[in-house]
Amino acid sequence: MASNWLPDHRIPSRFRIHRDTTNIFRVEYDDVVVLGGKPYLIRHNAKELRFGLEDEVKFWVKRAIDLRNGSLKIMKLVFYEKFMSRIGAIEYECFRSPKKEARILDLVSGHKNFMHGYSIQDEKDNLIRILDFVRGKPLFAYVENMELGHEAYYYEQFPGILDHFFECVQAIRFLHEHGEKHGDIRRDHILIDSDKGQYRWIDFDINYRHRENIYGYDLFGLGNVLVFLVGKGDLLLPDLKKQKHPALSTLREEDVNIVFHNRVVNLKKIYPYIPEALNQVLMHFSKGANWFYENTEQLLEDLGELRNAA
Amino acid sequence: MSGVDKFSYIRNILIAVDESENAHRAVSYVAQLLGGLEGFKVTVLHVIPQPEEDFFKTFTEKEEWCSKYQVKVDAMLEGYRQVLIRAGFHPHDVSVRSPLRYCPSMAACILAERDETEYGTLVVGRQGLSRSEEFIFGSISSKIVSHARNCTVWVVE
Repeated sequence: MASNWLPDHRIPSRFRIHRDTTNIFRVEYDDVVVLGGKPYLIRHNAKELRFGLEDEVKFWVKRAIDLRNGSLKIMKLVFYEKFMSRIGAIEYECFRSPKKEARILDLVSGHKNFMHGYSIQDEKDNLIRILDFVRGKPLFAYVENMELGHEAYYYEQFPGILDHFFECVQAIRFLHEHGEKHGDIRRDHILIDSDKGQYRWIDFDINYRHRENIYGYDLFGLGNVLVFLVGKGDLLLPDLKKQKHPALSTLREEDVNIVFHNRVVNLKKIYPYIPEALNQVLMHFSKGANWFYENTEQLLEDLGELRNAA
Repeated sequence: MSGVDKFSYIRNILIAVDESENAHRAVSYVAQLLGGLEGFKVTVLHVIPQPEEDFFKTFTEKEEWCSKYQVKVDAMLEGYRQVLIRAGFHPHDVSVRSPLRYCPSMAACILAERDETEYGTLVVGRQGLSRSEEFIFGSISSKIVSHARNCTVWVVE
């Protein structure tokens, strides 16, 4: 069965079969993992984008083929890690949790704005997640690669993108309403499903030790994605300086991201046609903000008004 | 009767603490301000946030963590209790509490403790968060000040 999926020169005399995936490094490409009686042929490791750096190999995440029907899957093996993450000068503790991702997969089953899949234990009770492969581009790549000037992008493309992003925020509200954080909201964690054009959140296995505002970090992530979408990319101060951009002299300390002080958030100063109401939403994520969104409902309310006014 | 006499104030004080320097300051403040005065009762509270299941590989690991944490909390609370006693509080007037609670919001958990009991004053230390930290991760003391009802809140710098 597995031989059908490999070129002749790669077909081994005996396939290595794993029913225990505890040692994730033993599970290699062209091996077969059997879970709940279902065989999966392992292909290569998945990679994660690291902006400005070489992509990082996620050695616990494998592309796989469900040998019963040939469908492409992502298999996430159990890999625990705890690490201190930083946003700007702020440190906070993060951890990778198969249980969290498994729980959320159950919760979002059938929800159009999330990746789908299921979890299953191997014979040593490792909680493996089998994800449907989402065919499509990451949202950030779609936006960045549009060959359009900003003004044309803003008037022609952004309204549709905002509608989809609104659904993404609603999807995060759905998680929060069920007591779950996404945990790793980033612009490369939304994929545009090429089958139906839907925006879908991926990768829910990161959790963080929250402080007072349990969903604050998710909201910060949503703000960063929104600013990116409105700006058709990040507007970085060093780039504006290189361009000797005329708006530079008008930018104030409070116009940059609340944490990343080289990213401009007050985009109206760069693109004057951005409406004040939209810019105000962005400014809630700026260094000059005197009020921060506490929950997705507040953000949705503001975005909803913008869409109604458009 | 004068305007002042219309009110009678409950002299029970709840100090919400953790291991931080600001919590030490909150306890020291109460100790120095009220130690040796008659009629005040103090409870030192540490709400143990039920750790998320996700943080542990196994149930046993979680149980071990909880046991160790409880030992650490007991020692911490006893330390604070002694600070208050040394400042002149009668040992009978100083108690400690460390309930285990599911705490999406620590401020809400602390206020729930206050609501269940008869404390007229709630004391917390200010964490000294940066503006961006407070925006993104939230501030316990700010939320307590915003949401506390039927009690006085002291935020100790």
